[in-house]
Amino acid sequence: MPLPAPEAAEGTLDNSIDELEKGFERAAQAAVELVERSIRIGDAHVRLRFAGVALAGQLGCAFEHLAHEETDEPELTIHVWDSTDSGTPPPPLPSLAPGSPRGTTVYTADEGRHFACRPALGQLSAYERATGKAWFWCSNAHDLPFWEPAAPFRQILHWWLPDRGALLLHGAAVGQADGGVLLVGAGGSGKSTCALSCLTSDLLYAGDDYVGVQIQPEPRVLSLFCSGKLEPDHAELLPHLPSPSFAGDGALEEKSVFYVAERFPERMCRGFPLRAIVAPRVQGVEPQVQRRGPAQVLAALAPSTLLQLVPARQEALSAMAGLLGDIPAFGLDVGGPTELIPPTIERLLAELAS
Amino acid sequence: MTYRVNSPHVISETVGGETIIVNLASGHYFSLQGTAVEVWQGLERGESAETIGLELEHRYEAEEGEIEAAVKRLLEDFAGAELVVEDASRNGNNASSEALPSQDAGERVPFVAPGFAVFTDMQDIILLDPVHEVDTRGWPHASAGT
Repeated sequence: MPLPAPEAAEGTLDNSIDELEKGFERAAQAAVELVERSIRIGDAHVRLRFAGVALAGQLGCAFEHLAHEETDEPELTIHVWDSTDSGTPPPPLPSLAPGSPRGTTVYTADEGRHFACRPALGQLSAYERATGKAWFWCSNAHDLPFWEPAAPFRQILHWWLPDRGALLLHGAAVGQADGGVLLVGAGGSGKSTCALSCLTSDLLYAGDDYVGVQIQPEPRVLSLFCSGKLEPDHAELLPHLPSPSFAGDGALEEKSVFYVAERFPERMCRGFPLRAIVAPRVQGVEPQVQRRGPAQVLAALAPSTLLQLVPARQEALSAMAGLLGDIPAFGLDVGGPTELIPPTIERLLAELAS
Repeated sequence: MTYRVNSPHVISETVGGETIIVNLASGHYFSLQGTAVEVWQGLERGESAETIGLELEHRYEAEEGEIEAAVKRLLEDFAGAELVVEDASRNGNNASSEALPSQDAGERVPFVAPGFAVFTDMQDIILLDPVHEVDTRGWPHASAGT
C-alpha cells in the first residue's frame, strides 16, 4: 500500500536526529528517575539510559545477565523513553495510509543512520553510527507487545552489530563454555523447545529466539536476551519451566515470557564459540542428528532472520552463507521425549570436539 | 530475451552447490539445484537466455532444442515469481557460442531439466508486518502529536 506524500518533505535526517536528542532530554528532565545500566555484549560496552523506572523495568530485564560495571566509554548508548509516563510529546512520526497493517514499518536510512517506525504500534528506533548513539521511543511503556520486553531493541542491535563484525540472527543457542550450537528455523520448528529443554541439563543457555553471532576472528555466539518464550504446548512438554514473568495477551496471539536469568541463573551465559548450526524439526520418535547441506540450513536461517528486520540486504545473506561455509550444518529431529534433546546436543558437541 | 535479477527485492546466495533465493517483497524463498543454479548464475552475470542456453549446450548432452526450451521455461517461471524482470536495455548482448571453450561431445553429461522449490511459509510476515522504505530526503512526518 503506497504511503501518502510526506507532509513535511523538507525534514532531513539531521533534523530527525535533533528531534530525537531533544525528545529524550525532555523526557529525562520530566522523569522521576533517569535509570542507567551498563551491559557488555561480547566485548563491547553498551549503555542503556531509561527516562523512567517503568521502562527500565519493562525493557531492562532481558539484559540482566549481561550487566557489567563499566568505566570506559560505551560503544553504543541507547536512549529510551515513552510519552505516557514522561508526559512529553512523541517525536515526529511518519503517516500511514488508512488500512495499513498494524505491524507496518516505515524505514529510512543514509550511509550511517537508520530510522524505523511502526506508527500504529507507537514505536520508533534510530541509530547513528558516527556517534554510537541510538534511540528507542514508544508511546506507552505499559502497553508494549510481548516481544519488546522479550527481545528489546533488536532493530537497533540489527543495525549496530554489523559495525562490530557480527550479525543479529533469528535463532536459539545452547552449549558449553568451549563451544555450542545455533538452533535455527522459523517459528514452530522446535528451536525454542530445544533450547528450553536444556535448562535442566549441564548445557548453557544463550537465547531462544535471537542471538548475535560474531563472525571474526572465530564464529562466536553472543547472548543478547535472557528471555524464554512459553509456547502453549510447553506446559506439557517442558514441565520444569516456571510460570511466566509476564503474560502475553492471548487474544492477540501473544506468548508469555519468563526470564531465564531469574529462574535458572546458573544456566545463563554470555556466549561461546560456535561449533555447529542445527535446524531442528518436530519429527520422529526420538532426537536424531543428521548432517545437512549448508544451503538447507541457510534456508532455515536466512528468510526468517531477513524478513523480520529492516533493512534486509544481500550483505547479510552473504555473511550467513559465509558462516555456513565455515561451520558444519545439521538437522535435528526433536520428536519424542524432550529430556533426550540435551544429551543429543552434548553428544554432537563431543563428536565435533574429537 | 534478457532478464535481470529483480534487485534489490531479490537476494541470493549459492553455497554447497545449491542456491537460496529470497524475494523480500513477497516473503517467498526458493531453492535451486543442478542446472537451475547454472542458469541463475548466468543471470547474475547479466547473460541473455540465448547465452545461458549455449553455455549449457557446451556442458550437457541433450536433444536439439531441449536445453533452449528448458531455459526459456525456467526464466518464465522466475519471471512469474518476480525473481527476474525483463531488461530490454541489454537484449542481444554478450557471448556467442564461438566465445565459449570447445568441448567434445564425449565430455558432456546428460542434461537434467532445471527446476526449483518454492517455500511460502514466511509470507505472513510480509502481509502482517510490511516494510515501506522511503528515500533519504528525510523522514516523512506529520506534525508532532498526530
